[in-house]
Amino acid sequence: MGVIRRHGSFVLQVNPILCDGFGHCAELAPDLVHLDEWGYPIISPDPLPLADVGAYESARYAERGCPRQALHVAKVHEGGAGTPAPRAGDGPVSRSPRPL
Amino acid sequence: MIALTTPYLWYTTRATGVVAMVLFTLVVALGTLVANRVGGTFIGRFEINEVHRSLSMVAVVFLVIHILTTVADSYVSTGLISAVVPMTSAYKRVPVAIGAVAFDLIMAVWVSSLLKLRIKNASWRFIHWFSWLGFATSLVHAFLTGTDAHQGLGLVLVGLCAAVVALAALWRYLGRPTRAAGRTALSPLASPPVPPRERFPESFPKTPPRPRAGRSTTPLTQRPTTPPPAPRAASPAPTTPPRPTSRGRR
Repeated sequence: MGVIRRHGSFVLQVNPILCDGFGHCAELAPDLVHLDEWGYPIISPDPLPLADVGAYESARYAERGCPRQALHVAKVHEGGAGTPAPRAGDGPVSRSPRPL
Repeated sequence: MIALTTPYLWYTTRATGVVAMVLFTLVVALGTLVANRVGGTFIGRFEINEVHRSLSMVAVVFLVIHILTTVADSYVSTGLISAVVPMTSAYKRVPVAIGAVAFDLIMAVWVSSLLKLRIKNASWRFIHWFSWLGFATSLVHAFLTGTDAHQGLGLVLVGLCAAVVALAALWRYLGRPTRAAGRTALSPLASPPVPPRERFPESFPKTPPRPRAGRSTTPLTQRPTTPPPAPRAASPAPTTPPRPTSRGRR
């Protein structure tokens, strides 16, 4: 019975190699994921605070609901200068949104 | 004890078998809807996916009840081993063996889906293709073993389930999205169909027109089998960054 403190932040990352553009993530996390005109997700690389429970939950739903397991919710630790440590063998992650 | 000597356990076996067959038909059909990217307008794509996942759990529960009541019932001499290992049942050896094969395939698909977050997606996909085989064998099992499957409503139900899944398989093959096919070389759909130009938005990078074998309404069976030319990233579009195309293999 204590207060759950949510320090740190998270970022939703997409592996563009695995992504097939099903579009489930944009339905599950519409605040985090936008689709480009080909149906592929564009996700902001900026970390969001874990205290934002709604955003975190929707990111977890998107990670679970992806039919290709292309999404990953990465925890960003304090002092990490905003760059999450990529998982081993994950390939390129978190495409920065470029102007189309 | 009463249940072991009364026919109600056997009735439960028959009833849950029929219900499991219908449920697995729905699961396969819904999985086809997900794979061919239905939804997104009045029903979300993720909702179809969630119904597919949830309904598969219900179907597995009915399948387990079907098997356990068969084992527990004294009317047939089918043991617990016979539910997993083929050709070990004294009662209807070959039909029950086909059911055991179907159960093994369904268990492989189910367990791999439960472990989906922990295994490679290519492995999961490869195992998931066997759901078609599992359904086909289970339907053969239903027809050969089913007490009710040879006349009347039971026969109609078996035929209906077979027709639904056959149509789903046909549509899965013909209506598969061009972009997602060929993700794994193990996929039976590894060669993607030629994408029709009309589906692309106006801003899509222009590629030189392909010669077509007739009008644009060429049936899919007459489409050229060569892979589509010109990877999209190589098309002359200086202002557009290269897209993550579906040609890459992991």
